[in-house]
Amino acid sequence: MLAASAAALPVLLALAGCRSSDAFAGPDPLAGRPSVSPDVVTLQAVITAEQTMIKLYQAAVDGHLAAGQAHRLEGLLTQHRQHLGLLQARLVVPPGAAASPSGAVTASPSGAVTGPVTIARLRAAERASAASLVRRLVTVQQPALAQLFASIAASDATHAAALSG
Amino acid sequence: MTRVTPSGPGSALAALQAALAAEDAAIFGYGVAGAYLSGNRKSAAEQDWTGHNEARDSLAAMISALGAAPVAASAFYQLPFRVHDAASATALAAYLEDGVTRAYLGLVAVSDQRLRTFGALAMQTAAGRAASWRGTTEAFPGLEAS
Repeated sequence: MLAASAAALPVLLALAGCRSSDAFAGPDPLAGRPSVSPDVVTLQAVITAEQTMIKLYQAAVDGHLAAGQAHRLEGLLTQHRQHLGLLQARLVVPPGAAASPSGAVTASPSGAVTGPVTIARLRAAERASAASLVRRLVTVQQPALAQLFASIAASDATHAAALSG
Repeated sequence: MTRVTPSGPGSALAALQAALAAEDAAIFGYGVAGAYLSGNRKSAAEQDWTGHNEARDSLAAMISALGAAPVAASAFYQLPFRVHDAASATALAAYLEDGVTRAYLGLVAVSDQRLRTFGALAMQTAAGRAASWRGTTEAFPGLEAS
């Protein structure tokens, strides 16, 4: 009788004019993928851009630059890895959700860095990153996320200055 | 004086006042640091002192435009450590810039987009000065060390 009742529950709910989500707490499994907030989409784009920056630095350290320069760059690379770690720690995506690709910054399809990575290229990338973060921080809803973007932008700006010296 | 509230225009005012207070402290601190510096470092301190005075004037004007009275500078500030030579003066300059960077981080948290941008760009200036005085960059200028 119990088994029969459980099996008949959706029918009984339908007869009573209820949806499954009315009877159970939590998300409605029939409602489709949960939407992702604009802040999450922005954060994902910033994470992708940070990953691209790390690839640029790694390529420079791995052999495109002289040993003395590589040593100087390793400190900046470490700080970019710290940026990535904190950005990823802020990212919480609902299970099953997919972010909109609009506005996302993507690396090349292979993820590989193409062309020589010069100091000038790194400096330009740092400046572009700082400017991009400032543009993005005005659009996010969470003040703490805006502050994280501002801090990373400030760090990137100091990197650009360090690469000018 | 406009009442400061946790959100809305009041919080923007509070953040502006905090930035102004940090600029005033930096102006005082650079006056002390400059006395122990010479050559290029003294010139850099003078340039930064001028920059902080200009920022102070801009912030005061922004606060006045909101109908509030800019917070007055103190006659004296307690220094975080004794300054007695070029090394401690340099450390003080970096310390002052760290404080200014943190103060502008507060502006980034307000809802007004122009103030957010203003605060973020001011952070870059202060963080750049701090890195120059310290000789190294930091991963998260303005944020508490984690």
